[in-house]
Order: sequence, then structure tokens, then C-alpha cells
Amino acid sequence: MTIWGWVLAVVALAAAGPQRELTDVTASAGVAAAHHNRVFKNPYAEIMAGYTALGAAVAVADYDGDGFEDLFVTDSADGGKNHLYRNRGDFTFVDMAAKAGVAAGNDPGNATADALWLDYDNDGRPDLFVVRFGIRQLFHNVGGGGSGRFEDVTRKAGLERYANAITAVAFDYDRDGDLDLFTGNYFQPVNLFNPDTPRFFPESFETADNGGGLTVWRNDGGGRFADATREAGIALSGWTLDLGHADFDNDGDDDLYVACDFGTDRFLVNNGDGTFADRTKQAVGIDTKKGMNADWGDYDNDGLLDVFVTNITDEYMREGNFLWRNNGDGTFSDVARETGVHDTGWGWGGKFFDYDNDGWLDLYVVNGWVSAGPESYVPDVFEMVTRPNVDLADARSWPPMGKKSLSGYQKKKLFHNQGGGIFRDEAARHGVDSTRDGRGIAVADFDNDGRLDFFVANANAEPYLYRNVAGGGASWIAFRLEGRKSNRDAVGAQLRATVKGRTQLRFVDGGNGFAGQSSRRVHFGLAGASAVERLEVRWPSGLRQTFDKLQAGRTYRLIEGQPAAQEIKR
Amino acid sequence: MRGFFAILLLAMGIALPGAAAENKDAAALSQLEAAVAANPDELKSANEYRKAVIRTGEYDRSIAFFEKLTADHPQAAYAWLNFGYAYVDKIPAAGSITQVILANKALTNFGKSIDLKKTWIALFTRGNSYLYWPVIFGRAPLGVADLEQAVEISRQEPKPRKVYVRAWIALGDGYWKTGQAEKAKATWREALKLFPGDPQLQARLARDGEDLEKYIYEQLDPNKRVDTDLSPLWEGE
Repeated sequence: MTIWGWVLAVVALAAAGPQRELTDVTASAGVAAAHHNRVFKNPYAEIMAGYTALGAAVAVADYDGDGFEDLFVTDSADGGKNHLYRNRGDFTFVDMAAKAGVAAGNDPGNATADALWLDYDNDGRPDLFVVRFGIRQLFHNVGGGGSGRFEDVTRKAGLERYANAITAVAFDYDRDGDLDLFTGNYFQPVNLFNPDTPRFFPESFETADNGGGLTVWRNDGGGRFADATREAGIALSGWTLDLGHADFDNDGDDDLYVACDFGTDRFLVNNGDGTFADRTKQAVGIDTKKGMNADWGDYDNDGLLDVFVTNITDEYMREGNFLWRNNGDGTFSDVARETGVHDTGWGWGGKFFDYDNDGWLDLYVVNGWVSAGPESYVPDVFEMVTRPNVDLADARSWPPMGKKSLSGYQKKKLFHNQGGGIFRDEAARHGVDSTRDGRGIAVADFDNDGRLDFFVANANAEPYLYRNVAGGGASWIAFRLEGRKSNRDAVGAQLRATVKGRTQLRFVDGGNGFAGQSSRRVHFGLAGASAVERLEVRWPSGLRQTFDKLQAGRTYRLIEGQPAAQEIKR
Repeated sequence: MRGFFAILLLAMGIALPGAAAENKDAAALSQLEAAVAANPDELKSANEYRKAVIRTGEYDRSIAFFEKLTADHPQAAYAWLNFGYAYVDKIPAAGSITQVILANKALTNFGKSIDLKKTWIALFTRGNSYLYWPVIFGRAPLGVADLEQAVEISRQEPKPRKVYVRAWIALGDGYWKTGQAEKAKATWREALKLFPGDPQLQARLARDGEDLEKYIYEQLDPNKRVDTDLSPLWEGE
């Protein structure tokens, strides 16, 4: 190329502006199968259709242990098959669900709503928990290599009970070395497929207390779980949509944020003795919003974990999201407005992750309730709420949505963290501002190149798989933790990486965020640094370990109690 | 005498500690209620009462009080207007759906006031209230109709009172919300001649397009407290 050719090329590049760093590879990756909402067949079906556009979910884990993260993706239609996408390592996937025995999640009496990977028996293989409106499913991973082999152990595990569960997280709340299960239930346990009462809708838009609440399933070992909700001091009956766990006060045990639709979110502090205390009023106050997501992350790198909660923000309902900044004294302050993340429309899943490896957690948020015809459902709802003495708990009071839209066709947001104080939306620039009705997000490095990719589950539509193709050498480091005294997945472990005098806090999360479970691997963006000067790990057991001078651009395996970090060769 | 001091403290926004403060507040509100009840078709004492209610957060008490007052005095146009304001005053303290219910009830009461007596304040209040509703409800044209009448009433006064600028501003907002941007600007320009230097008019006229849209929506945000203090009506009397 001549000198003029180079000049022209540089000018052309400059004119094109900043490059896209994310690209839609859904079709080429072979993961484009659409989700389908459940169509109910009961006297309230027409009404329910507007309120059950749920169930599109995604969960990430390396189920076959080949070093590449795989995907479990849900459907909700009667007879619809769930998908277990095995990652071939070249950004293509193959659906192994039927062969592995985990495809059948939907039938006339059960609809899949969410999914969660957890190694409940500490055997080193991720097992699969399928959350349903109906009877949940627990599949034990019995190996089988790439094709995978799973055994349905729901009954054996003591989990066979009807619930209208919508979300689940797993963490070791009682610190006995195994993962316990927390399921969030939306409707109360009325059989939605054949309800024996019409009074199963929310009694209020702001203070509803007739939902399904939260169930604690304590892992008693031997593959058995027991309902320990009451023993744990929990008695909630809100319309739970999401659960997010984290150690907010750095006291060594994990606390829980409960995001509730139609009313008050709850904040439960772990007392360290197998019980929780409801500290909602003191910590975040009593809200009347529509909480849908709870994801924890230290967005301002101050060493304290903060929470991001989506609510509804539209012309007719200007709630605004919460970004609860952890004040370090048992209280939180909502800084969503000043940081620029308060308005994401009818928000659903929102996930913190550092997509550009600059050392600051960014935030991707999906949204939109029902994108259908041009007519709006809003006036119908308001006609109902202004009707004198309306009984909202009675499904028959609610107008059918039909072909109308409600907060539909909303653009997704990718908030780039500008250094801990403010976020700027970069979704359009990166082509990730789709208008499908998004639900869950799962973040993982699917090609092990040090750049975080993500999968978006959309309701009644095809999903998206976005590959991170940021140019230049990625500056990152990642860790896969294995507990010994702690739970094998090391869920709850905190990692503090110090780079150029600045410390970042990350932790192993057990499925936070609505309808999306991200990778268990802990990823740090290093902003150009070639090494982590010091890494401090606090295991769930309480053991603290430090590792010095770890090279960037590598994934390490950390085993609890072992002094050396082992590099995992790609 | 104690009641007088309680009212004075409440009017000054001075807080007393704990239960003592609650008792004083209750006593003061009772005194103010008695004053309103003695003169139900009047704005001044009710205005003082509602200001005290806002300070103490006793919105439900105020709503119940005006509900009884209007039942006892159904022909008192200003009692209905005050009843509407009692709902409006509660809106910022409510959740988003309750806000709609309160706003709707307020509109009903403003309408009853207008049916009894077509005053500038009632027409401006109802017209302005319509503008807070999302466009999808189609209430902005109703707001324009009320505000046009309010502006017409104000034109008939020999000397424009300062407070009348509010109807002009709102009428422009109404035109803007109904897609009549030029008419909105013309209204604000005409108003600026009558009320030179008014900052709200200047702020609108200095903006265009998305900037103006953002500004107007900020002014019509139901989460912000609407100024229902009517004292500008009798300023300079």
C-alpha cells in the first residue's frame, strides 16, 4: 500500500467512529431456537396470557468439564423442549438436551420458568435445577462426556412439590460446605393449569402480599433437601421475581436481596446462625415498585458490593430502577438517577460485567413486556385500577390483553461504566439495542479469549448470542475456584485483585440476576496491566489465601488450601 | 393559647420531638380544620390547612376531612376544589398506580367545583392536572379546553395578576402536548409580553425539539410535588 493508501485507510477508520465490539452470532452458533410462552387452557387463560409472558431463561456452566462454557436455554410451551447447548469450542454449539435427558421440561401440568446449575453433591460436576410453574426438576449430572447424562432425582431429593417458582439461586447460607437452594415464587401455589379459585392475582399494584414468596431448601447432604424456610426465619409472601445473594457487609456469610413485583423488595441479612433478619426498612426502605432483577457488583470499586434492581419506567409509570450503593453501614443509597441507569423501560434482567476489560463493571439491561399490536394495553389497566372497589386479587377483574402491547419494542441498554460515578449507554454503538422482549442474560467467555460474551433469552422470540470481538490485546485474568472445605463450586468466595494500586472486588455468584445465570468463573479486566500484583481470596469457609504476581491473559484454577495457582491451558 | 402556638410552630415548619410533636401536630390540624369548617367555601384557611398537612404527611386525614366537608356542604365550590387538592397533595407520597387513582379522584372533584362555579383557579387547576396524564390517555385536549377558558377569564381582568401567568404557561404546554408546537410558542410569546421576564416562559422559549420535550416532561413529572399553595392568588391584596 502506498503512503496515500495508508492515509486514506486511517481517515476512513476515523470517519467510521469507534468500532463495534460485540457481534450477533446467534444463527451461526446454532443457538437460535425460539422461546415460546405458555398458553394456558383454563377459564382465566385469556387474562393470564398478559401476565405470564415469562419463562425465557438461560444458565451457563461447563457441564462436561471440557473447559468451554455450555448453555441451558429454556422453552415454556406445552411440549416445548429445553435446550442443552454443548460448546464445541469454536463458537458453535450442538443441542444435547434430548440425549442427555434434560429436554422434557414442559407438559400440560408444568411450564419451565428458569434454570440453575449447581453442584449440589460436591462431585465436581454441575447439576441442573429446572425452575417451573409446576413441579421443579433436579437433574444429577452423572458424567457421560460431551453428550452428557443426567438423572432426574427430584423426588429422591425431596423437592417434589407444586410451586409457581420463577427464580432460584444457590449458596451455602449455613456454611456447612454444601449449596442450599433458594426458590422465589411468583404466584402463590395455586395450580395455574387448573385453578380452583379466581383469586390468585396480585391484590395491589404496590403492596401486594399474596404472592408465592420465597422457599429455602437446605441441603442436608446425601442428595436430600429440606424446606427450612421457617427455621431460617423467613416468612415472605410477596410476588418474588428475583433473588440476589452476596456478602454485603463482608462478615463472611451471604445476605439476600429479594426483588418483588407489585410491592416491596426485601433485604435479608444473614445472622450467621442459619437464620436471616429482615432489614428492609433500615437498609433500603419500603418501596412500592415492581422489582424484577437483583444483581450484585462493586460498580465503584470501593470494596463493597452494590445491587442493581430493575423496575418499570415508562410514560405511564415512572418508577426508575434502583442502583443501591452500599454505604458500608448497613444502609444503601439509590444512585440510579445520578449514575444514569434509572431508565431502562420495563426492565428485566440486568447484569454487571466488564465487557471492555477496563477494570470497571459495566451493566447490560434487557427490557420490554409484551411487544404485539399497535394498540396499547395501558388504558385498559388504568380503567381497571380507577374502577371503584375493584378486587384486584380476582383474575376476572383484569382485562384480557389480546393483541395489544404493553411497554413493548423497547431498546436494550449497555451502560459503559465511566469510572465508578456515571454510566453511558453504548448499546446502539455495539448493535446490542434490540427490541425483542428480553428476560435473562448470561455472561461467559465462550471462546476463552479473555473477552466476555453474553446470551440473551427473549420471551416468545429467538434469543441473541453476542460475541465480544473487541480489537487489541485483551487485558484480563480469570479464575476457576474449587472449594474443599467450602462448597465445591466456591459460591460466595470473594476475590480482591490489586492492579496498579487499585483493588477490584468480584465474587462467585450462584445464579444472581433475573432468568440468567452467568459463568461461575471470576473475570477481572486489567486495563492494560500485564499482571495482578496481589490476589486475595476469601473462601466461603472463611479461609483466606493470597497469591502474588499472577500473569495477565490467563485462567487459573484455585483450589482451597493449595498455595499455588494452577494455570489452565487453553 | 396552646393551640395557637401549635399552629404557629406548624406554620413555621418547626419540628418538636417524638410523641409530643405528634400531639401538637394533631392539635394544630384540628384547629385548622375548625377554621376551614367555619368557612367551607373559601380558599385561604384551607390553604393553610393543606400546607400543614403536607408538612406532617397526614394526607389521609385531610382527604377524610374534605370528604366530610363536601358531604356537609355540597354546594361549596371551593370545598370541592380543596378536596381535589387534598388528593393532589398526596400524589408524591404514593406509588405509581395509586398516583393515577388519586389524580383521577382529584379531577372528579375539580369537575364538581367547576360545575358549581366557573372560576379561573378551578379551570386552571383542572386543565393543568390533565397535562400530567400520559399522552396515551388523550386527556391533554381536555386540558387545553379548560386552560383556554382560564386564559379567557384572565384577559377580561383590567390588570393581569401575576398568578395568571401559570395558565398561559400551562396552555402552551397543552398545545405542545397535543402536537401544536407553533401555537405553544406563540402562546408563550404573547404571555411574555404580558408578564415580562417570567423565567418559566423564558425557559420554554429558549428551548426547542428534544430539549423542550425533556424540559416540559420534567415540569410535568408526577413524582415531583405539584405546588398547590394558593397564596399567590391573594398576594398584594
